[in-house]
Amino acid sequence: MYTLLSGFYKYMFQKDEYCILILGLDNAGKTTFLEQTKTKFSKNYKGMNLSKITTTVGLNIGTIDVGKARLMFWDLGGQEELQSLWDKYYAESHGVIYVIDSTDEERLTESKNAFEKMISSEALEGVPLLVLANKQDVENCLSVPDIKTAFSDCAPKIGKRDCLVQPCSAITGVVRIPVCDVSGVCFSSHREGVNEGIEWMVKCVIRNIHRPPRHKDIT
Amino acid sequence: MGGFFSSLFSGLFGTREMRILILGLDGAGKTTILYRLQVGEVVTTIPTIGFNVETVTYKNLKFQVWDLGGQTSIRPYWRCYYSNTDAVIYVVDSSDRDRMGISKSELVAMLEEEELKKAILVVFANKQDMEQAMTPTEVANSLGLPALKDRKWQIFKTSATKGTGLDEAMEWLVESLKSRQ
Repeated sequence: MYTLLSGFYKYMFQKDEYCILILGLDNAGKTTFLEQTKTKFSKNYKGMNLSKITTTVGLNIGTIDVGKARLMFWDLGGQEELQSLWDKYYAESHGVIYVIDSTDEERLTESKNAFEKMISSEALEGVPLLVLANKQDVENCLSVPDIKTAFSDCAPKIGKRDCLVQPCSAITGVVRIPVCDVSGVCFSSHREGVNEGIEWMVKCVIRNIHRPPRHKDIT
Repeated sequence: MGGFFSSLFSGLFGTREMRILILGLDGAGKTTILYRLQVGEVVTTIPTIGFNVETVTYKNLKFQVWDLGGQTSIRPYWRCYYSNTDAVIYVVDSSDRDRMGISKSELVAMLEEEELKKAILVVFANKQDMEQAMTPTEVANSLGLPALKDRKWQIFKTSATKGTGLDEAMEWLVESLKSRQ
């Protein structure tokens, strides 16, 4: 009887909490992505003025509920010096979102190096990885295939973990993707880059039994 | 009628005063920062025994800023001021490597307090004009900031005497507090 009641209590008042790290170089759009996510997934959240977001030199946090899962985001500063703080969070992370600035071709190699260093860490083995090719709203930006090519030599290190590369525009929240039908007519289709990525992440962290969630009472 | 308009006005423009504490060890530069923010000038200060409190207006947001004395003997009294605090500005003397450990333990003890659970933390790595000053990342590491997992925090390099870094720090604080309202 006790078990039944406590089980019921847990069902009603407990959520499975997963910690998601948001990483990437400075100016990739990590904080904007976090704010956009919070706005989209939590009702009544006013959010920061996206144009007022400045460089993060520390930690921003955010919590959203998706079904029975509660995602807690850690958005860390991306400047070179601050990258030394990233690994302090690896052991407790259930998922990683890596944000790339698709408009910054010059720093793509730098981003790749940081990415490679991150995924080589043992503490992140098997942790689901979402790579966002951000700023897709800007014309002439690098496409997802371009970025995949640039990051291709990291592929062996990704190994067995779940990994998805997605186009995204954190600032607008939607992405236009050209779709061509058989007759060769092309039109652009709108996709929710932010939502899709988060929903994929939720699915993966729940599926990943090697990192069980923290149980958190809802107050 | 006047009361109606004034309540409507304050409802529209949100004039609730934000309560901010400036904490840190003695000699970190808390009082200098407070008066830099308020009058924009460097004032000659003496060690604070007790507290200074001033109202600072920044970008239409009113702050009630409390600067509490940082000497060992009066640090236990910080906790009397914790309730209803929106943000804590923790000031560190970046050139004082020897006392980083003490600064860390005071910070850790402070953040464990239930009353400060929702407060935003801003660390000022102060005295950056000194030659032997530690970088913000070094300060962050020695204060154990990466161990904070459920609080929004940010570190800024500042020099209260030169006036650098204070503006961007306050700007960030204003935006963060606004989005939290």
